[in-house]
Amino acid sequence: METKLAEETFLTDDFLRQLINVGEVDILVGLPTHNNAKTIGSIVHTIQSGILQCFPRERAVIINADGGSRDGSTELVTGASIDDVRPASNLYALRTLHAISTQYASSPASGVALRTILAAAELLRAKACVVLSPESANIEPEWLAKLLHPVRRDGFDLVTPTYRRHKFEGLLITNLLYPMVRALYGVGIREAYTPEFGFSSRLGSHFLAQNAWNDGTGGTGVELRFALAAIAGGYRICQSFLGEKDHIERHAADLVPALRQTVGTLFSALEPDFPVWSTVAGSRPVPTTGADQEVLLEPLRVNRKRLREMFSTGVAELESVFESILSPSTLAELQRIARQGEEEFHYSGELWVKTVYEFAAAYQRSVISRDHIIQALAPIFRGRAFTFLMENRDASAEDVENNIEGLCLEFERLKPYLLQMWKSRE
Amino acid sequence: MPLHQDVLWYKDAIVYQVHVRTFQDSNGDGIGDFPGLEEKLDYLLELGINAIWLMPFFPSPLRDDGYDIADYSTVHSSYGTLEDFRKLLGSAHDRGIRVIIEMVLNHTSDQHPWFQESRSSKDNPRRDWYVWSDTNTRYQGTRIIFLDAETSNWAWDPISTSYYWHRFFSHQPDLNYDNPAVREQMWNVMKFWLEMGVDAFRLDAVPYLVEREGTNCENLLETHEILKELRRQLDEHFPGRMLLAEANQWPADLRPYFGDGDEFHMAFHFPLMPRMFMGLKLEDRKPITEILQQTPEIPPSCQWSLFLRNHDELTLEMVTDEERDYMYDMYAQDKTMRLNLGIRRRLAPLLNNDRRRIELMNGMLMSLPGTPIIYYGDEIGMGDNINLGDRNGVRTPMQWSGEWNGGFSAADPEHLYAPLIQDPVYGYPAVNVLRQKASEHSLLNWMRSIITVRRSTAVFGRGSIEFLYPANHRILAYVRRLGNEAVLVVNNLSGTAQAVELDLRRYKGNILIEMSGQNMFPRVGDQPYLLTMGPYQFYWFRLRRV
Repeated sequence: METKLAEETFLTDDFLRQLINVGEVDILVGLPTHNNAKTIGSIVHTIQSGILQCFPRERAVIINADGGSRDGSTELVTGASIDDVRPASNLYALRTLHAISTQYASSPASGVALRTILAAAELLRAKACVVLSPESANIEPEWLAKLLHPVRRDGFDLVTPTYRRHKFEGLLITNLLYPMVRALYGVGIREAYTPEFGFSSRLGSHFLAQNAWNDGTGGTGVELRFALAAIAGGYRICQSFLGEKDHIERHAADLVPALRQTVGTLFSALEPDFPVWSTVAGSRPVPTTGADQEVLLEPLRVNRKRLREMFSTGVAELESVFESILSPSTLAELQRIARQGEEEFHYSGELWVKTVYEFAAAYQRSVISRDHIIQALAPIFRGRAFTFLMENRDASAEDVENNIEGLCLEFERLKPYLLQMWKSRE
Repeated sequence: MPLHQDVLWYKDAIVYQVHVRTFQDSNGDGIGDFPGLEEKLDYLLELGINAIWLMPFFPSPLRDDGYDIADYSTVHSSYGTLEDFRKLLGSAHDRGIRVIIEMVLNHTSDQHPWFQESRSSKDNPRRDWYVWSDTNTRYQGTRIIFLDAETSNWAWDPISTSYYWHRFFSHQPDLNYDNPAVREQMWNVMKFWLEMGVDAFRLDAVPYLVEREGTNCENLLETHEILKELRRQLDEHFPGRMLLAEANQWPADLRPYFGDGDEFHMAFHFPLMPRMFMGLKLEDRKPITEILQQTPEIPPSCQWSLFLRNHDELTLEMVTDEERDYMYDMYAQDKTMRLNLGIRRRLAPLLNNDRRRIELMNGMLMSLPGTPIIYYGDEIGMGDNINLGDRNGVRTPMQWSGEWNGGFSAADPEHLYAPLIQDPVYGYPAVNVLRQKASEHSLLNWMRSIITVRRSTAVFGRGSIEFLYPANHRILAYVRRLGNEAVLVVNNLSGTAQAVELDLRRYKGNILIEMSGQNMFPRVGDQPYLLTMGPYQFYWFRLRRV
């Protein structure tokens, strides 16, 4: 009851009034925004088309949680008319389709946005919800069905996407997040950190009630926390193939924020989730609708040389930091390969897994500032990325998958090493 | 005011639709009759209605419930005599009740002497009174209306070895309105009944009078010209009488039937009715407001005719495919409930006998712009019998009491024209007039009270409508205005309690007076006017400046 009151206080009066007008819904589409005027109009129209095509009879609402846009994003959401969709698609709406918007007081934060959406979903007693990214330039109406039908029809609690990606896209996911989550939690979710996912009301309410929303992080990596909460809570999870995913180009400088959102979130979760992951052995695949994933192979220009240089420089410059994080043998091995030339450079899977696990243990022990630990992982990850690129330079899609699978098994094989470090601290 | 003095009487009317056969049997033959109906006029007067619409009572083989007329100039002997009808007419008028009768212009029965003559020989003077053809390939663009029974609009006549045109059942040949003699004869038929004193005609199936190659043979200009000529004659010779169109069409196609106020006085608003049911099930005003937005303005002297249920199936012709599927799934999951493009059920069973929903639907019927028509028995929540074929399940005997044959007839039950409803929920022992009269809170007494409120002001029959669009889509709200009078109507289409904020700033300073209890509600100010509504609740507020 206290939680419920807190949620109601957290929402503005105006937003509550809008929710009252919407009333109970079957489908809720959450759309966090912050200055997304360039894309949001077409995304909302796609969502409307998706609702009309796939859920013509359901009571549906689009909830926009905005982090203070100044480019008219919210107006584009609330002003998008179903009539704009209808002529082109010949779709007909049986019902009123609401699109409502609220701006939360703090600065843009995915956690606050998700909390707003979850609170709205609970108050509206939404039966199935989906959160979509305001940057998904290639979103299709069918995405709604793909992310919501497993909840509505099959009783799943969390639906994460799989995509058609280039073999060198999402290296942080393929080399760390996916294999580590799989090894530790025993569940092979390919995209545990994703801006678009479907979920059930019971999972939403569970997360809303159990999450520490005021931890000062603004909810960084909240999407991953959501997925981990689903795993830890024993909720039913599946994957749904969405097709190709357009993404906004990231600069190298974006790596540290990305590490904070993914690795930082994962490392943070390991402590409270220890009773869950410490007892898990092996892993199981997640039921998937459509392809598990698809790999694109066309040539892609990557500055590999710079990756290796940043690794070598980082290992040298951050030696004192690494001494507090890594075991002497691991550090020595990293220093050895840092001295290697481009041709002989090889950052093996085993060394990479040990490095990551030692970082996780150091994070748990807070040997130095936890944020510094995460930042220190950036140059190391670049070294691993270099090796992955080299190893898979001419690899077929199947070869790439085999290599990723091999890395996953390595994470699983070395899991006792992490447990040993973890328990030795206790 | 003498009955025919107020030429706009139909705008204030509350019409009760009844088939003579179904209402009251006075001679114990198992079939309702004119003297029986006359006996029950006081019941109708107490109910508050001021017009009755009688379904076809002409001589007929009754293969389409009387819409297959074999003689236009008298009454079916089962229902009494022409004199009995005259007596009923006089008694109704004495009580201020007008009488609307059916006139089937489009076709006759194949047993009508005109058709018998017409088919007898290609040289017969009446040959050209019907639409004959040597082939069945003419007018290919014309839809078939009774899809469940007919495969073509042409039927082969072995006697005259030709095809004849029929838009409905094949035993109902269409008259040929290109023949001036037919047009003259049909006016003579109408004149016969008008001279007797009937107040209005419900003209059946009017869009189909004329056929033209290359068209869908509906709503043709030539058809409108014929109807306008009938109206001209009516106004000239019988001012104050009324024509009501049965044209199951989209609003834009219906609009021409009003002409410039020189064709029909009234027309059924067919597309609205299914959308009222849809809005209720969806708990969303959208279907209702959308169709009313698409409804064109009509001349000031004209009026829409609104209904919830009638003797036919709940027609789903004027909805989209998606809407029709939804209606079937929501209201007729049992496929035996479906007929043609519709649902053959009565009001109460359609609404799961939920008194709140029945009241809400009647509340909307009485407060939306138009003249409401109540189908006999719906005022007590009668049920239906889907085991009876065609639309007969909604045409069972009126349930007057829990006694023998429900008080309808003294005949042996096996002699009744149709069995009474006997199931435990809707059967005559449970649902009947006598019982409901005795119960203060019965549906019947509630209907009487809502009709009284409706008739307390002309605003519902004659006023304009302005929709309010509160953000809560479950609320259907509108203001009816006539002169200085304004009534605010707020309907909660949802089965749960709702809060709604209404923008009533235009009426700032008015107080709201709830019309059934005459209680005051707070004055309208600058802020949104907050109302809380119970499940399926509705309010009628008189807006009054004090």
